[in-house]
Amino acid sequence: MPGYQSINSKMLQVRIGPGQEVYSKRGAMLAYTGPVSFAPSTTAGHGVGGAIGRAVAGEHSAMMHVTGQGSVMFGHGGLEVTVVELNGADTLYAEADRLLVHDATLQVGTMFMGEQGGVRGIVRGAVTGQGLFTTTLTGHGACALLSHGGVLELPITPQRPVHVDPQAYVAHRGQVQNKLTTAMGLRDLVGRGSGEGFQLELSGSGVVYVQASERKI
Amino acid sequence: MLAVDLGGETVRALNGSMVAYEGQMTFKRQGMTGGEGLRGALKRRIAGEGMTLMEVSGQGTVYLASEATEVTLVQLTGDTLFVESESLLALDGNLQTGVQFVGLRGMGTGQGLATTKVEGHGTVAVLSEGPAIALEVTPQTPLCVDPHAYVCHHGQLQQDVVTDVNWRTVIGQGSGESVQFRYQGHGLVYVQPAERGGILEI
Repeated sequence: MPGYQSINSKMLQVRIGPGQEVYSKRGAMLAYTGPVSFAPSTTAGHGVGGAIGRAVAGEHSAMMHVTGQGSVMFGHGGLEVTVVELNGADTLYAEADRLLVHDATLQVGTMFMGEQGGVRGIVRGAVTGQGLFTTTLTGHGACALLSHGGVLELPITPQRPVHVDPQAYVAHRGQVQNKLTTAMGLRDLVGRGSGEGFQLELSGSGVVYVQASERKI
Repeated sequence: MLAVDLGGETVRALNGSMVAYEGQMTFKRQGMTGGEGLRGALKRRIAGEGMTLMEVSGQGTVYLASEATEVTLVQLTGDTLFVESESLLALDGNLQTGVQFVGLRGMGTGQGLATTKVEGHGTVAVLSEGPAIALEVTPQTPLCVDPHAYVCHHGQLQQDVVTDVNWRTVIGQGSGESVQFRYQGHGLVYVQPAERGGILEI
């Protein structure tokens, strides 16, 4: 597994070597040492079928395959970088454009939101601006997520469901059910709402990552 | 980011600033007057110190944040905090808010003619670009701050404007520090390490 090392909150250094390859957001390289090559990748590690699926789903973010021997620094748009380790037991759900780097050993997939919650899932995707598809990562390895203002890790337990502003949601992992709850009232219709009309309710057991801002990438 | 533990109390927070919560919470936009009475609401409208707050109440923890800016907590023990309405993130439900006219000196610094005052006993969360620092003012050491970097102040302070405008400023060759706020008395002034864009760049 490549070594991920944070230089500061917004820059990440990744060691690359034989068998230690990563996929990264295209154009996110800041500097590198050693003979490292960057190849544009349309499949991003999940086959031709997956690539077509992603292109159709609109859950497509241009990635590149980083190989060679050396170390590479990554960063993007002055956004905060958070490293998430996956131990093979659970799946990370994240938006494609929030993925900065991930190990080539991780399996990448696309999940149709309708699988979780049927029609409500589709509505949720449309309302929250997440689209109808989200990216999943499984396996052993690490990945780095982008966020505006750093992330807060909130544990979810069956006794303590967590409600998240859809615009501040970054990613989640574990056995988590999500559903969109509305607190729309008369006040919202006349333009005097509290600004918290829609919330994502996450229940089950796992972790949700929330950013300190309501800005999308 | 700010975490607020609630056990049935109410806090007032910037509209739409909730990023996550655990437990049972209700969010309700404040009425037109915002607890300041009809006169207060009128004053606020005239002064352009508009602010939209929501009342958050319930049991649990609510997380508040706005545009990834830094949050500073200010404890009030019966004294008055002066703050720009756009820098206010959250305040205890039992604190009183109002509008204070600051006169013409607010012009040109981008602050407008009025500022918001918060008084009572409780905690106020103030937003700043970059971590804010608190500077102490005593009668022996008056303090001058850049109006664009000023965040808020509390205590027994007199505020006046110091200008250093000369012919160089007029022809656009100023040092960029032609106007300063000077504080005298006893109190604390909070300053941020970034300068807001004012209406007039002087």
